[in-house]
Amino acid sequence: MPKSVHEIRDPIHVFVRLDNHEREVLNSRPFQRLRHIHQLALTYLVYPGATHKRFEHSLGVMELAGRVFDIITDNATDEIRARLEPLNNQDERRYWRRVLRMAALCHDVGHLPFSHAAEKQLLPNGWDHEKLTRAIIASDDMKAIWERITPPLRHEDIVKVALGPKKANDLLFSDWETILSEIIVGDAFGVDRMDYLLRDSHHVGVAYGRFDHYRLVDTLRILQIAPSGEGDDSKEAALGVEEGGIQSAEALMLARYFMYSQVYFHQIRRIYDTHLMEFLSEWLQGGNFPTDINQHLRITDNEVTAALLEAAFDNGKAGHLHARRIVLREHFKVLYERNPDDVKINPEAGKSVFEALSTEFGREHFRHDRYHQSTGAPDFPVRMRDGQIVSSLAVSDTLNRVPIVSVDYVFAERSIVSKASAWLRKHRADIVKPREEEGDNG
Amino acid sequence: MDRLRRAALLTQLIERLRRRGSWCGETHVQKATLFLQDLTRIPMGFDFILYKHGPFSFDLRDELTSLRADELIKLEPQWPYGPRIMTTDRSKYIQGLYSKTLEKYNDSISFIAEKLGAKGVADLERLATALYVTQRAGTDASIDKRAAKLTALKPHITRDDAVAAAMEVDCIIEEAAK
Repeated sequence: MPKSVHEIRDPIHVFVRLDNHEREVLNSRPFQRLRHIHQLALTYLVYPGATHKRFEHSLGVMELAGRVFDIITDNATDEIRARLEPLNNQDERRYWRRVLRMAALCHDVGHLPFSHAAEKQLLPNGWDHEKLTRAIIASDDMKAIWERITPPLRHEDIVKVALGPKKANDLLFSDWETILSEIIVGDAFGVDRMDYLLRDSHHVGVAYGRFDHYRLVDTLRILQIAPSGEGDDSKEAALGVEEGGIQSAEALMLARYFMYSQVYFHQIRRIYDTHLMEFLSEWLQGGNFPTDINQHLRITDNEVTAALLEAAFDNGKAGHLHARRIVLREHFKVLYERNPDDVKINPEAGKSVFEALSTEFGREHFRHDRYHQSTGAPDFPVRMRDGQIVSSLAVSDTLNRVPIVSVDYVFAERSIVSKASAWLRKHRADIVKPREEEGDNG
Repeated sequence: MDRLRRAALLTQLIERLRRRGSWCGETHVQKATLFLQDLTRIPMGFDFILYKHGPFSFDLRDELTSLRADELIKLEPQWPYGPRIMTTDRSKYIQGLYSKTLEKYNDSISFIAEKLGAKGVADLERLATALYVTQRAGTDASIDKRAAKLTALKPHITRDDAVAAAMEVDCIIEEAAK
């Protein structure tokens, strides 16, 4: 008798299990392409173990999404059931579980080569990898898979749950669809983030990203809380935790902080991303990646790596200079980075430093990299042992103190670092001091 | 609009809302910023979509996080609810750098704080969603039509509350235009 459940070994979740329809997606061209997209772009040049791919991450996200779905639907209270209709119908519940797992499986299929590295600059206006993901989920080949399932899956449902309201901002979400998308891309407990923290930590070889995800998943619940004490009844459903899960949630938020500060925003990793973006903008036809799905599926990290190696040793090739910086490790070096004293007088000090250095020595010798953590405060509902539902920030001192990662680097070409550094030391105080606005051009 | 200029405007809005009695959680700041941007035409560049408690901007959420990173605002926990937002002394310094911008938009910020400062989340959700519906349907669309759309988008809002919200938004739009 043919198997209806298939197991795949996984270093994080031990086994990932798929049914026949999910295996059809796994075997599809868009999903197989993810075998050739590094999860962490060129991070392997800094942390050699970071060679894992989006393929196994996507399987992990599906595995976790299924577990979270089962926990939160099995433990929904009557109040939540009254608000979220599909919880009361077994067929509906089965349909949406399948949608959720398919959405988790497909959530990254639109990623460009080397993942996030500079997608804003390398796609036409209005495009990002989520839009490509959406186009792939709605493509004829994938629709044929959705339609072979009983009952057929609506591709719009998969898109909504995979991307969430932030990225599918032209679609209207029901409360239920919002909760399901939170399971994947949610700020606090999205399994996309849970999986990448655990997986990246494992491959990079740092312990920062670990947290007790078994305990956390077991204590997740759909909860409602009034956001303020004004005596009104404006409650919205959201993913929260039982009181017993608060320490695991704290550990998740700390893991996020440490991984961002130590790995994702590592200064050398960041400058490699910049050099890669500059290489690609010269190497790609028209300076952009294609948005046609068939062309998108043809290009992976492998093609880009081959081109990088070729261009690095041939000065006639497009992107030669940038390719050398990557392949021969001649990357720019950090000349300035954010520090508390400068932030006090000018939160955008890096920009002022970059502009001043560019004026003095020429813009081509410098790169400015400014990035803020793009998530909200870790504010989610917590159900206390006495049944009261409270805000996580009211109950946890730790969550109130998790720092926010913000980087502000200025990098310089190696040949000019000493000279520029000496000049900056001399003029720094004056450069960093912000100027009062001159006009009212706001 | 550059980031620090926007920070000066947001921190001043937060201060004025609190002065008018606002709880000033994230939802309050979100709705007040929507009105400030869309009604008084201050080009802050935030995109709003329909989400929890009505129109919501993920860009603004990110911006509030970066203001916390720069210690221009901080969160004030309030058992058992979500935190209130308050400005820091450092925000005064940034406001000082952008005094011309703040002077230019002073009346608009005061107007929005006066209209919304005393309102709770439920009221703000109704009003902001009514504004969202009105902007898409136009003020020419009847109150009934907009109220019907509002209740379709937010089924927990009653028909009577939706009608009242649409009428109140019309009044605010009219006053803002003066």
